[in-house]
Amino acid sequence: MAATATKTVMKPETISNEAFNFPQGLAGFGEAHEFGFIYEGYGDIVCLQSLDSPEAAFLITPWDEERLGPVPKLPNEQCSCINTQAQNQIMWMLVLNPFSDKQWVTANLRAPIALNMVARLGLQFIRADSELEVRYRWMKQPS
Amino acid sequence: MLILRRKIGQVITINNNIRIVIQDVQNEHIVRIGIEAPPEIPVHRMEIYNIIQQENASAGSAGALNWLKGASNDGSNSDENSDET
Repeated sequence: MAATATKTVMKPETISNEAFNFPQGLAGFGEAHEFGFIYEGYGDIVCLQSLDSPEAAFLITPWDEERLGPVPKLPNEQCSCINTQAQNQIMWMLVLNPFSDKQWVTANLRAPIALNMVARLGLQFIRADSELEVRYRWMKQPS
Repeated sequence: MLILRRKIGQVITINNNIRIVIQDVQNEHIVRIGIEAPPEIPVHRMEIYNIIQQENASAGSAGALNWLKGASNDGSNSDENSDET
């Protein structure tokens, strides 16, 4: 199934150009709080670029319900971190890793990113379920 | 490392804004603890956090944007490029 042609929760073009704040940073990048989005016209993939730490840049793509099932449910205490209590206001994104495999771009299902599009707040939701793949084969590497 | 003895229901405070409550001890090996911390302070199980930290270190780098630019330039039709899973 085409990663760029499947139903997605929200398209990347809906992402605001304004910076997002990640109060907790990302695991291993705790000092990176302000992020901007860079879209290069490649499918649904955007670059989440830290404005604090230039070396912190991640490729992200919207959660795909057809492939992965329903989006995660963010616990209430984490909802408060991005200033929302409405699950349907959260835009879920997957962190892609294009460097882990020569043939595949992988997606981290265990730690997706939750975005509050209104408040421009985000967090990486680390899920305890050990069966969730950290390197799920998302799409083949471009030739 | 500071080591404290606490009974069930007793509390440890850290930095005036973090509370750790001993909730229960199960089978003499598993301790349930409750943690109250400000939302900007991440609290995770360390073994899981380490896995995500390593994966983020692998995925998150200045090369990510270059990869995206390269993929965009190489594939004039990105839908065809990402067509197989």
